Amino acid sequence: MFARKTATVGGIDQKAKEAYFTASQGQLIWARFKGNRTAMIAAWALVLMILMGLFAPFLSPYDPTIAGRDENYENGAPQFPKFKDENGFSARPFIYATERERSIKTNFRWVVTENRDKRLYVRFFVRDWDYKLLGVIPTNIHLFGVDEGGKIHLFGTDASGKDIFGRTLHAIWTSLAVGTLGVFISFVLALVIGGVAGYFGGWIDSVLQMITDAIRTVPSIPLFMALAAFMPDHWSSETRFFFISIILGLIGWPTLARRIRTHLLTERTQEYVLAAELCGASSSHIIRRHLLPSFTSYIIVDLMISFPYMVRSETALSFIGLGLKDPVNSLGALMQNVSKADVLLNYQWYFIPVIFFVALVLAFVFVGDGLRDAADPYSDTKK
Amino acid sequence: MAQFAQFALTRAFMALVTLLTVSLIVFTLMELVPGTCAERYLAFKNTQGSQITIADIAAEERRLGLDRPFPERWGKWVYNVFVHGEFGDSCILRLNINQLLADKFWISLGICMAALILSYAIAVPIGIISASSNNPVTNNSLRFVSYLGLALPNFLLALIIMLFSTVVFGDSLTGLFSKEYRDAAWSWAKFGDFLSRAWLPVFILGWSATAFALQTVRALMLDEIGKLYVTAAAARGVSGTKLLWRYPARHSLGPVINSLGFDLNRIFNELPIVALILTLTEAGALLFESLARSNDQQLAGAIIFLLTASIVALNFATDILLALIDPRVRRGMMG
Repeated sequence: MFARKTATVGGIDQKAKEAYFTASQGQLIWARFKGNRTAMIAAWALVLMILMGLFAPFLSPYDPTIAGRDENYENGAPQFPKFKDENGFSARPFIYATERERSIKTNFRWVVTENRDKRLYVRFFVRDWDYKLLGVIPTNIHLFGVDEGGKIHLFGTDASGKDIFGRTLHAIWTSLAVGTLGVFISFVLALVIGGVAGYFGGWIDSVLQMITDAIRTVPSIPLFMALAAFMPDHWSSETRFFFISIILGLIGWPTLARRIRTHLLTERTQEYVLAAELCGASSSHIIRRHLLPSFTSYIIVDLMISFPYMVRSETALSFIGLGLKDPVNSLGALMQNVSKADVLLNYQWYFIPVIFFVALVLAFVFVGDGLRDAADPYSDTKK
Repeated sequence: MAQFAQFALTRAFMALVTLLTVSLIVFTLMELVPGTCAERYLAFKNTQGSQITIADIAAEERRLGLDRPFPERWGKWVYNVFVHGEFGDSCILRLNINQLLADKFWISLGICMAALILSYAIAVPIGIISASSNNPVTNNSLRFVSYLGLALPNFLLALIIMLFSTVVFGDSLTGLFSKEYRDAAWSWAKFGDFLSRAWLPVFILGWSATAFALQTVRALMLDEIGKLYVTAAAARGVSGTKLLWRYPARHSLGPVINSLGFDLNRIFNELPIVALILTLTEAGALLFESLARSNDQQLAGAIIFLLTASIVALNFATDILLALIDPRVRRGMMG
């Protein structure tokens, strides 16, 4: 590869080569990652979804809790803004107003009808429910909405009339937050336990390894379930949220701890560590300046890879009713709603959050994979 | 032979130590569940109309041995489990756990093992073919499918299949037995009925397991296929499937066998959830029941322990198998 390059020595080439040799590890990883098209697409999708989660209150026109329910449109189908119908064309997209009726004509059941003569035009930056933008700035402006007298539901509504679009956006954020907290807790545990085992070695290592292996052998979902079953029913949704994250973190650490330990054990005996020791460097200096940088990229990759598992575990727990429950909007809690035959037959739009879940996990997996390939300096030569 | 016996013994000892550690974890968990067994018994009596005092609870605790210190109770539990294979009584159902679990646990294990076998029966040939082919379309689509195994969780798949069959065939395919066999004793007819229904959980559990197995097999094959001994064999004139199966496939089989235990672990993870959706009447569903509904710590502990024990047993078996087919493993373990 380099032989070919030197054959065409030119000004630009020389510069590129110099940049290559003086690049930091981070720059090299980024350069390799950029070359991976699938991973880049996944990364953009991921960024998009994170932003959607972050700005969920701004993007969702109605309060995702029961306060924002649309009592005139329960189990309502998604409404797509239109530009034109039999009454003519409109440059401004619109939807129809819905009316609810219960009388002898409808056999005393609530029946929702579309009033095709009454158009509700889509408007931007409308004022609706109060929220705090990014958790700080109190405001009530939302990206879009419709004229007074009706509501727009891009993804339809659920059984109590809550807007599924808004719920999905909020759910992405909750699931990401649970995952982040879980990954963070397991990361700290892994760093401490794996670090202690790897740095001290000897019998401490053996004992810690035994415990780590034992925890790794126990199937994690049953263990999650056992821990989640401790949660009293009267806990508030915030407490449940933290408890679930802590459980995820408490069980997720062994794999990462093992890797950190193995890495420390091999790196500790490397020549450059010995050289630093001979130069009189203190052990804290060696850990900070030599050992930690040697595997930060691996840790980041590992965290990225363990993320979808966390999100998935949370979803599974919530799905079976042991995790987050309905007032909280998590992807698992939303998916719980699809487990009825009624939904498949009549309310297929309940499945929309599932698409987001699959996309989120896929994005994480592809980005994690791309990062792993990019962080591996031999990935080019292997293929 | 003596070397092999020594290897097997060390492995068995290590498996035993793991099991003991697991039993400690499980037992501690059981202890952490709010409320003791004695309180449960008496709470039940209370609902039947009898008056309960603190003294009654204390007496009941003494009767059940709950007033003893933690290590002693753990020791007793471990002794009963390891020596007699006895898990005691369930607090809530007031039934012997062994009787309660007997059939159900074996059914669960059978379903999970079948899923494991299915996943490798698919993954090994396809993984080998995809590793040796240079067709980017095949490779990318395989990669995508195996990622989908992670992204499309089993419970969703189960749900979709179930709802679909309800709509199309009018049968939800749930449960493990037809109505007429549900309470019947085991017979060939019942077994046949069981098989006609068990394929669905096996398939669903095998779904993501296959995806993972496919990735493992492919990655291992890719590592081996570029090595010099394969080139050398090709140079000697060995080619085609014979080359693949006799050289790189044999070498990549070792790590695959080694990872079987973790694959079983992954399948067990999905078991309670799939069981819940398909309303299977086996250990996974019982575990969910005991944890989510009734807080039956004795039963839950027993099931988690049994699941883990079967993983440990499988790990032990694969270690021995690996040592039998690969002498390098034996020597590596010794040295």
